[in-house]
Amino acid sequence: MESKFLLDVKGEVAKIELLGRLDAANAPLLQEELKKLAGSAINRVVFYAKALEYISSAGLRVIIFAKQKMSTNAQVYFIGAQELVLGTIKMSGLDNFMFLQDTYND
Amino acid sequence: MAKLLLPAKLENLEAMMEFIRKAAIDQGFDTKQINHIELASEEVLVNIINYAYPDRTGDIEITLTPQENKGLEIKVIDWGLAFDPLSLPEPDTCAPLEERKIGGLGVYLLRKLMDEVYYKREDSRNILTFVKKI
Repeated sequence: MESKFLLDVKGEVAKIELLGRLDAANAPLLQEELKKLAGSAINRVVFYAKALEYISSAGLRVIIFAKQKMSTNAQVYFIGAQELVLGTIKMSGLDNFMFLQDTYND
Repeated sequence: MAKLLLPAKLENLEAMMEFIRKAAIDQGFDTKQINHIELASEEVLVNIINYAYPDRTGDIEITLTPQENKGLEIKVIDWGLAFDPLSLPEPDTCAPLEERKIGGLGVYLLRKLMDEVYYKREDSRNILTFVKKI
């Protein structure tokens, strides 16, 4: 599957759909897009991960970046993660600091 | 045993990963184990690509050796700056997200996911070896 991401911002919520792989090759591109949102009114970042097959530490760093660079109260949601991706997130301890859910309701 | 030598550039990462992924599949690892091998391998390779050769181009050599017990040994060699990734402190996985340091997570995954990990510096080469057992 081709790897890419789709970013949609509405008000205080940024939604990012992740497709394929989030690794060292393409994570910097996503980080550049998220950088543009830093300092804005965004207080919630929702990653849709149903089609994400693989996430490496480079991808996890983007998640950390999203949390650290948005407003201090920003919440991070990770929706529909596959088992392997979920395993990587839990190993890294990031599951304690984001909302891992199967679905997301606006 | 299989060997691959490529310039340490991000554009070659996919080829290196594919080389390792194919060997892991051939060895009979399951999907989860292959995922772990990929995670560990990417960390090692990206560290070299990003930091080993700050002022020149250089190569990465990957040697894959099937083990007697059906495991796989992956040896990654570079000729860059001396660097022992195992000397990095582990991240605090319990620290709040706002306080998490960005670095160290990759090496943490390498140590956690692989059964054995060794580093040595020899003849101006960094030699990082890691083994995944079935």
